[in-house]
Amino acid sequence: MADSGSKRIGAPDFNPEKYVKDLSQRCVGGQELQQQRQKIQSLADETNILLKKNVYQNYMQFIETAKEISHLESEMYQLSHMLTEQRSLLSTLATTSMLGDKIPSTVDSDGAAGSQGEGKEQKEEEENRRKLAAILEKVEGCVTLLETSGRTILHEGDLLELDPIENNALQRVHAYLFNDGYMIASWIPNRRGPVRYKFEAMYELGSLAVVNVRDMGSVKTAFKLLAFPDTRVFQCTNNQSKKEWLDKFEQAKKARLVQEQQKRESANPIERSPSRPSHSESLESPTNPFEDADDFSAEPELPEWLVEVPEDLDVCIAQRHFEEAYNLLKRAREFLDKNTNTDPVITDIRRKVEARVKALTEVLMKELEVSPDKSLQGGLPAARRAVRLLNQLGRSTQACDLFLKLCSCILKTQLKRVKREGATVLYMRQIGGIFFSNLTDMTREFLRAFLPHSPSCASAFVVWAGSELTHLTSHLIKQVFMPQSSITMLAECVTCVRSQCDQLCELGVDLRYQLDGLLRTPLTRALHDAREKLIDAVKLRAAEDKWHPMNLQCKAGLTKFLQEMSDIGIASIHTYVTGDCWLGLTANTVAFSKLYLTLVEDCLRLATPELLYTVDEVLSDVFKAQMLHVEASLSSDKYVAEMTLQSNADIHLLRNDNLLARNEYTVKLEGLNVYNMFLLLQSKFIQKNAAFLLDTLLTLAEHCYEEKIGNPCARLGRLRDEYSWLKKDSSTKRPNNSAVKPKDSSYAATGSHQRLLNAV
Amino acid sequence: MSKKPNQQPALHKVIMVGSGGVGKSALTLQFMYDEFVEDYEPTKADSYRKKVVLDGEEVQIDILDTAGQEDYAAIRDNYFRSGEGFLCVFSITEDESFQATQEFRDQILRVKNDENIPFLLVGNKSDLDEKRKVSLAEANARAQQWGVPYVETSAKTRDNVDKVGIFSLVV
Repeated sequence: MADSGSKRIGAPDFNPEKYVKDLSQRCVGGQELQQQRQKIQSLADETNILLKKNVYQNYMQFIETAKEISHLESEMYQLSHMLTEQRSLLSTLATTSMLGDKIPSTVDSDGAAGSQGEGKEQKEEEENRRKLAAILEKVEGCVTLLETSGRTILHEGDLLELDPIENNALQRVHAYLFNDGYMIASWIPNRRGPVRYKFEAMYELGSLAVVNVRDMGSVKTAFKLLAFPDTRVFQCTNNQSKKEWLDKFEQAKKARLVQEQQKRESANPIERSPSRPSHSESLESPTNPFEDADDFSAEPELPEWLVEVPEDLDVCIAQRHFEEAYNLLKRAREFLDKNTNTDPVITDIRRKVEARVKALTEVLMKELEVSPDKSLQGGLPAARRAVRLLNQLGRSTQACDLFLKLCSCILKTQLKRVKREGATVLYMRQIGGIFFSNLTDMTREFLRAFLPHSPSCASAFVVWAGSELTHLTSHLIKQVFMPQSSITMLAECVTCVRSQCDQLCELGVDLRYQLDGLLRTPLTRALHDAREKLIDAVKLRAAEDKWHPMNLQCKAGLTKFLQEMSDIGIASIHTYVTGDCWLGLTANTVAFSKLYLTLVEDCLRLATPELLYTVDEVLSDVFKAQMLHVEASLSSDKYVAEMTLQSNADIHLLRNDNLLARNEYTVKLEGLNVYNMFLLLQSKFIQKNAAFLLDTLLTLAEHCYEEKIGNPCARLGRLRDEYSWLKKDSSTKRPNNSAVKPKDSSYAATGSHQRLLNAV
Repeated sequence: MSKKPNQQPALHKVIMVGSGGVGKSALTLQFMYDEFVEDYEPTKADSYRKKVVLDGEEVQIDILDTAGQEDYAAIRDNYFRSGEGFLCVFSITEDESFQATQEFRDQILRVKNDENIPFLLVGNKSDLDEKRKVSLAEANARAQQWGVPYVETSAKTRDNVDKVGIFSLVV
């Protein structure tokens, strides 16, 4: 049914309306119609599939055609390449036979093979061209002057032409001596514009006989040119000018001779090798060329591909089929290594192949070279091919060098994109991130490209990475380590960079030590700066310290404060709370505690074994500054107190009774004694603060230190021992009182006495 | 032998050829200035002109003293082309220079394309007879073979370097 249906549908005279009518007449009931519908549906699906298959088939054909076209294109390319080669060969031949001058090949198939040497030559050529062009401007009708490239001017001057027989003057001329010929131009009597001379004749140096005419009679300082059929006599203005002309002629001839000899020598071997192409040999040899493969090892006959290797290599290099070129090279080398005989043809091929190796290397190196006009878009993966081939060619050192240069360039451009805006830490993180992630990529790439082949390059990489790191750090130091930058910020930056640096360790490159080493000096300086700043701050606050308990105003403030303090690690501070919102410590002590803990944290973040000494120093110095203030306050008060008490009779009583009793007692005393009483009260308060500093704060700092560094800080320990007497009763004097400077803080102390007095 | 050109100012172009150091310049100078120069300095190419009376007629002789060591064959050809008579000089003390005369002769004949070109074979340095390497007979034989005269001279003793002597022989 389906078959007949499809046939009918496929018929050329298919009428859909009629078909549907027939169908509806034939079928009875909806069920049957449904079946018909399904059949038609399946038919449609099948057709669809068929259609698709057809399209696919055509598609395959299309792809094949495209391939064919590209193949043809490459063939055309090769053809055009061969044609240009032919052209350059012909032009070289032409110039060799005509003038024997060297002419730079018009088409340089090696393209990039031209190195600096050529560049220099080009420069000279340019200079020559300029000079010749100047002559062109002066002399009418010598346009062909520029056509011979490599022509240079050696000498020029005004001469008087004489009649060769009569010896009388004929005309004034201007003569030019080139490295390949001698040009005579006559004067234009009434000249217009820059043109002064008219071209008359050009003699080829190779057949120009120059004869010195001996002075006699009227003819002096003349020379004669024999250029068959012409014989021309020229008179110079003086003997020196004649001598110069003759010398220049001689020099030009000699230079030419040398050049020609060189050319002949260099041209000989080249001409010899193509004179023995394999085509002619196979034609001459009676054997079937297809049997060559069998007897080729027995005979020194060369396989065809080998003879054509140099040309094929040229084509491959020109078309940038580097892998192919390398494979061909390898094959040729293997063959040549096996064939160690000194057949001139083989030697020649060997020499040529080596020249191609060089050309290939140069092209590849050019690939890797960084130049401003080359985009770095491809990044390192783009360099893989060239690096791999150079490695295979045994040029890993150069490849490594260029690779690293490329890396440097990429790094530089990447880092340049980072704009310095917003927070320093952010900037640091960004720069460090880019630097180290790039470095990671480069390391991976490097390991991939070089390590299996040439482990010796690893040292170059290490040196390179080191120098890049030095660059980065010097940049960072300039950007970040400024006098106004806080130690907290520095700590954050440095930790950030360090952690990024540590990522490299996975790849076996540990730059951490170097990084730390580079940052050591600026960090030390920064730490010292921070110390100075903090000590200054301590002094400033000391000057304003009134030794008042801290008032937190309200209950909420107290809670907030306690929370804050426990956050930074001093939870035990709640024991100092008195009343609703009073703290038994001064605001100075609390502020110092906060600052000091931050300092401890920052210092410990920055600390490395090399920096540890500085960190210790900074921590202890800052703490000591605060303790000095405490000590000074205490001793100055005591100093005043003792002075007054000595004049008092009840010294004994005051010393032995407890504070409260004394208080009550002293209230009854005269005004002076009341004042002394307050001083004593204050000493107690100071001692309380000292105890807090030494017991809570310093202990906490020491704890943090030990936790982070691994061993206790000796200097902080010493500090505690040194000042522990401060928290004891005021009667105990400092064991060594010499360091006390009452003058400093006496002023502040007296101020606070007044306040206490007023309070009471 | 003489072949006078019919030019109005009778000018005879004579060319001295021969290997380096055989005494071409010495002969020329002796002829021109009656002096002998001991010092040897290779000539590049010098041209002289002198008036002489020949057969009662005043003529000018233009002598081209060529370089014995000229590297360019094309330039040598140009010398020869400009000549009307040739003095082919060799040193009787040096066989090599005698052998070289054959080459010069061939070259001149090739360039001038004239078997009867005025040509004179000159054996110079006859004062150094004790060092003689080229025998008189040998030289004479070659001259005969070429159909040219042979003269032995000494630029030093002015032997045979007559005012008109050898040069007039050529023209």
